[in-house]
Amino acid sequence: MRKIYLVLLLVSVALGAQAQGKKRAAAFNANKQKANANQFIEQQWWLGFKAGINMAQADPIKRYTILTPTNYSSSLVEKKYDAFKEIGIQTTVEISYYYKGFYFSTQPSYISSTFTYSNQLQWVNATNVNEQLTQTYKQTQKVEYADLPFIIKYDITGSKLRPFVQVGIFYSLLLNAVKTVEVSSIDQATGGTNTINSEPLIVGAKDLFSSYWGLMGGIGASYQFGNVRLVLDATYRQSMSNIANPQNRFINDRLSGIGDAQDDLNLKNITISAGVLFPMRYLSSSFKSNDR
Amino acid sequence: MKTYIQLFTLIFLAASCAKDADLATDQANFTRIYDSNKFDASYYPIDIKQTPDEGFLILGGRRLTDSNLSGTYLMKIDKLGAYVSDLEVPTDKVGPIGPLLETNGKYYFFSMTPVGLNIQLCEVDANGGISKTIAVVGDAAIGYPAAAFNDNGNFLLLRYDNLKKESVVDLVSTAGVTTNSKGFSIGAGDGVEAQFITHFTRTGRQFPFQVGKAAGKYFFNGFYQYNFSLVFADFADNSKPAIVFGQAANGGFSSIVPLDGTKFAASRFNSGDNYLVPNAIFKTGADNKSNFTDEDLAGNYLPELSPNATVRIISATVNGKDIILYGSNTRSKQISLYGYDKATGKFIGSRYLGFSNPFEIAAMTTTKDGGLAVCGTTYVAGRFPRICLFKISKDELAKSFK
Repeated sequence: MRKIYLVLLLVSVALGAQAQGKKRAAAFNANKQKANANQFIEQQWWLGFKAGINMAQADPIKRYTILTPTNYSSSLVEKKYDAFKEIGIQTTVEISYYYKGFYFSTQPSYISSTFTYSNQLQWVNATNVNEQLTQTYKQTQKVEYADLPFIIKYDITGSKLRPFVQVGIFYSLLLNAVKTVEVSSIDQATGGTNTINSEPLIVGAKDLFSSYWGLMGGIGASYQFGNVRLVLDATYRQSMSNIANPQNRFINDRLSGIGDAQDDLNLKNITISAGVLFPMRYLSSSFKSNDR
Repeated sequence: MKTYIQLFTLIFLAASCAKDADLATDQANFTRIYDSNKFDASYYPIDIKQTPDEGFLILGGRRLTDSNLSGTYLMKIDKLGAYVSDLEVPTDKVGPIGPLLETNGKYYFFSMTPVGLNIQLCEVDANGGISKTIAVVGDAAIGYPAAAFNDNGNFLLLRYDNLKKESVVDLVSTAGVTTNSKGFSIGAGDGVEAQFITHFTRTGRQFPFQVGKAAGKYFFNGFYQYNFSLVFADFADNSKPAIVFGQAANGGFSSIVPLDGTKFAASRFNSGDNYLVPNAIFKTGADNKSNFTDEDLAGNYLPELSPNATVRIISATVNGKDIILYGSNTRSKQISLYGYDKATGKFIGSRYLGFSNPFEIAAMTTTKDGGLAVCGTTYVAGRFPRICLFKISKDELAKSFK
């Protein structure tokens, strides 16, 4: 982390020095210099680094099942998706071009999200209620993506603390996926109440997912701290295409064997990130990057 | 900036049209386990046939609490594998046997009555309902049905006649009339019969009884003179059968499919070991005697298969090539598929189905879309026997059997 900070600092100082040199040579008189300065500070490049946490929720577009009931309602075994329950992480490099209050930004990110769902099965002997078994399947799905977004951000005020709003579109490139299945059972046919918790089944599930695209919107604020900006933002992301791979829905025998089929899914994320942005050029040593 | 926007536009267009599910994809590949929430229910499949609507009809058995024999179970599922209906056939039809015999748009199977062992032919429509029950008359009227075969609209039936202690092959019409019949002694004493009884009551080993037609003769795989043997014969009184001898109940053939003339795809078992013989030549001429362990029937030894494994064999076309597909059960409780080139007998690939819970094969069939349907039993939650179905697409088959 410290190394990245130093590299970013050096890059920004070098670019700033280059900008200053060019500007000095062009300044003939004070009025013209001031006019040029105003024009100059209406534009800026920012480079920064952010990291944070996210929470995810998957919504089924179309449900699929392996366990197909013949004498009871399929709704009894339907998967129930949890809402924004597990915490994931993301790291982001932000490159923004500022022009008159607007930022045109790309923020390539690594984002690791986790969503969960569960379902329950029950078998009962109608003539002997002591013979019954209840099984609960809890599935934890971790998906890792490289995000390539294009974002437009707008500063609401120009003060030292600058709240902003942002909207964007992104493409998420699948990197990896892992599924963990925990099965717990309550068996009442063994002469008592026998609670069984099996060891989790952890399965590589990259084949079950695919890359997707989506839309995002959020709010945040930046705070001028010296010549850099500290930034905190919260973003809501929504996939606009299926994140599952229909071709490979049943390909994983380990999961099929215990009755898990991948639904077609939309993925929602709420991300919260904090970071620091560095200006890429300076007008003079006394000129602050937040002036305008 | 313009280039950047163009790049994003291209990526998003590619992503948005990449992979939404469609009917063809859903139909091509699926896995299904058909579950009942009855704790004491037990179902097992016997055969599967694809119906004209591209759905499937499954003939199965079920555990009865008031009979030593298995009850009959029918299930209709659609082309996506979704459950449509099932029928727990009344207990006057027990001991059902496969395969489902398809002729003139109807499906037939043999069963028997629990009392009297009267053999009956059940006519089933494509929706899984029994449309007619036909009492078999003539020589084949009584006995334990063991295997059947569709011989151009008439049915070959292999049954055990417990009064004469014979393996009997009958030719039965769709009207239930026996037109030909020939018996083969299983040998004196009760030793062989005891194995028949545990087979029919499913309290012991399940023997791979089979009947069929090849090289202008019928053949049966069953007990003959104390041995589980492969017998080629015809219905003429004075004809002498050709016999490929097994060794008591310990060795013999577990599946046979005629390929061309006297060429067969076969599998054999020997004291628990299993061998796949994709290019077997049987001596089918009258009065020929050979042994299931003869050198030219050696085949490929597969130690991964469960002892005396169930084996199913079908011919299929994959990647434009005619192949022989073997389906069997592994010691690790998976269903295994092995492909061999039909012309050369060369191994071309394998595939394994099922995991986590035990899976056992019952039947497989090629499908109209060029894929494969494999039907079997799985034990849900490690204990409840339920019917499962794997549908494998043409493309997936091509990847596995190159």
